[in-house]
Amino acid sequence: MRRFFLVVLMVSAALMFAAEVTEVRIGAGWEMTGPIAGFGQMSWDGVKLAMKLRPTVNIGGKDVPVKVILLDNKGDKAEAANVARRLIDMEKVVAILGPCTSSCALAAGAIAEQKQVPLVTNTATNPLVTQNRRFIFRACFVDTLQGELLAKFAWEEFKSRKVAIFVDVAQDYVVGLANYFKRAFAKFGGKFFEVYYNTGDQDFSAQLTYALAQNPDTIFLPGYYAEIALICKQARELGFTGNFLAGDGADAPELIQIGGKFVEGLCYTTYFHQDADLSPKTKPFVEAYVKEYNRRPDAFGALAFDAYNLVLDAIERAQSLDPVAIRDALAATKDFAGVAGMISFPPDSGDPVKPAVIIEIKGGKPELKTVVRP
Amino acid sequence: MYKQPSFWLTLIALVVFFAFISYAQKNFDAYIIRIMNVAAIYVILGVSLNLINGFTGQFSLGHAGFMAIGAYASALLYMSPELKAMNFFIKPLIWPLNRIQIPFFPALLIGGLLAAGAGFLVGAPCMRVKGDYLAIVTYGFSEIIRVLFNNLQSVTNGPLGLKGLPTYTNLWWSWGWAVFTVFFIKRLIDSSYGRALKAIRDNEEAAEAMGVDLFYHKTLAFVVGAFFAGIAGGLLGSLVMTIDPNAFNIMLTFQIVLIVLLGGLGSITGTVISGVLIAVLMEWLRIVETPMKIFGITIPGISGMRMLIFSIILMISVLFFRHGILGDREFSWQGVISFFKRRQSNRGG
Repeated sequence: MRRFFLVVLMVSAALMFAAEVTEVRIGAGWEMTGPIAGFGQMSWDGVKLAMKLRPTVNIGGKDVPVKVILLDNKGDKAEAANVARRLIDMEKVVAILGPCTSSCALAAGAIAEQKQVPLVTNTATNPLVTQNRRFIFRACFVDTLQGELLAKFAWEEFKSRKVAIFVDVAQDYVVGLANYFKRAFAKFGGKFFEVYYNTGDQDFSAQLTYALAQNPDTIFLPGYYAEIALICKQARELGFTGNFLAGDGADAPELIQIGGKFVEGLCYTTYFHQDADLSPKTKPFVEAYVKEYNRRPDAFGALAFDAYNLVLDAIERAQSLDPVAIRDALAATKDFAGVAGMISFPPDSGDPVKPAVIIEIKGGKPELKTVVRP
Repeated sequence: MYKQPSFWLTLIALVVFFAFISYAQKNFDAYIIRIMNVAAIYVILGVSLNLINGFTGQFSLGHAGFMAIGAYASALLYMSPELKAMNFFIKPLIWPLNRIQIPFFPALLIGGLLAAGAGFLVGAPCMRVKGDYLAIVTYGFSEIIRVLFNNLQSVTNGPLGLKGLPTYTNLWWSWGWAVFTVFFIKRLIDSSYGRALKAIRDNEEAAEAMGVDLFYHKTLAFVVGAFFAGIAGGLLGSLVMTIDPNAFNIMLTFQIVLIVLLGGLGSITGTVISGVLIAVLMEWLRIVETPMKIFGITIPGISGMRMLIFSIILMISVLFFRHGILGDREFSWQGVISFFKRRQSNRGG
């Protein structure tokens, strides 16, 4: 009998040892190379800082180390799906951070939803990313809000009445944001027309010649920083003197590096600025970021920082590494203090209600213009 | 035929192979299954391109274009109307495609047949060009397909592509098609058609003088190769769950060419081996893109290193293994039997 109990004790001890959590594996699938590598690099910097400040998560009274496995999706839809699959199937992650862009997030999200692993994108703003998907969340605002905000800004601040919209037809985010802008701008009574290009295009003279012939007072650029900078440069060279307006895709240091003096005066919406008082966590984050990287924090890094902490917060509340339990805890998030604003998820939605920041390029620097709270 | 030992050995090998596939589908890790699926698709692509490049001697760079046709055609047929409506939010999908939904197998076949049709359209005019010029023409065709698909918003959803495709592709589908591709092309090569194709490769003028219909046979190679490329495209779309025109760019064609060159122009066996090898390497080499510790020194992961390594592999193979892994040699049961007989006689001696 004693031997029997001894065997039972040994077996249960072995099982307990086997079941003991040694690390929490979180996946990160970002655009580290390719046409929008800047977004991925900034996001990864945000997560690296978050890992340094919070390297463990408390499960069952024990501090378990967190390991983030980074994979590059190259800014490519198919590769984003491959990365999500690899993170889930091989790396056995309990949650995924990223991608940054809506096209990649839609592709990766389809895999995450199918495999029932929560995915938190830091900056994918297209409404379709989370639509009818239980396992997909975001740390940013949505393009419906951003489109309305930009249309209002164009109408009231710029006094725009005729807008040329440059649409990158290869990106869901750009197409979506352009549509929401058009809808809102039309309500104000504004006129607009569209011209099209593709990710990676370098020469926009044909589109600009057509656009400028119609005398727009504003050019709206809902694309990504590389093309935005080139369009601004070429538009000014062709004699355009009106305003430039852009979405959050403009928010990268490369915008100024590529565009230089030609992007001066450009206004764009984003999620974060170091001078914006978005939450009690903003100031400490800015200080930590500057100390770590010796440069001002950016919106992509800030939201990646928030996404990481959001997942860790959900794991601690779930007290589990079961992806479904983590998903349920994420969905139940209320008043989470992120560095880019408070995060609460409405019932049956992965879209938080977030403030937006409007930035203006002044003297070659992105300066805070205003904060718009919903 | 049935009395030959090679027939029974092949049959036994197939039974064992598909028993293994059945076991793998049920018991293997999802990640390993995925690599096996990709390997099968690479085998289909490699063997079908080898028919054009290796056996017929026509230097084609149009395989990605054929794949795109197969991938899009099949996806648009097996997607549900609701999924189509969700994807086509700029311009609605044209009628009747917006209403149609058919099972995976017929959708794949139609995709393959449409790709074969494109193969005919490319193969027929290509009679007048050879060598590098043919490569340029076929590459041009592939780019035309990509650009067309980028702009046909109401048919292909343009550059946004199709997302959230249902995952029908499993080991049965992928390896079933891979085995069928190998079997079909092997039978074709061993037939009178195959001998005609090889004659065209070795000496076009002599082949024509001997009565080989150049137009018919060259076009046949393109049509068959394109059909299987279309099938592979359909399988890949359902596996990855996301397709867009830019996924079918020249890089994909180069990857298939790499499979053929590594395996050996004119060797089906070599192509099968290199197809599997490259599929495995593509995943395994991801380690060079992630940070790692060697002797206590942390080496940062460099994104894009995988493709650099593949470029080096291609250079090495072109410089030192000009004929690939197997050259133009093939696996045969006779060869296996004689190999073992030789070993036994060596031991006896």
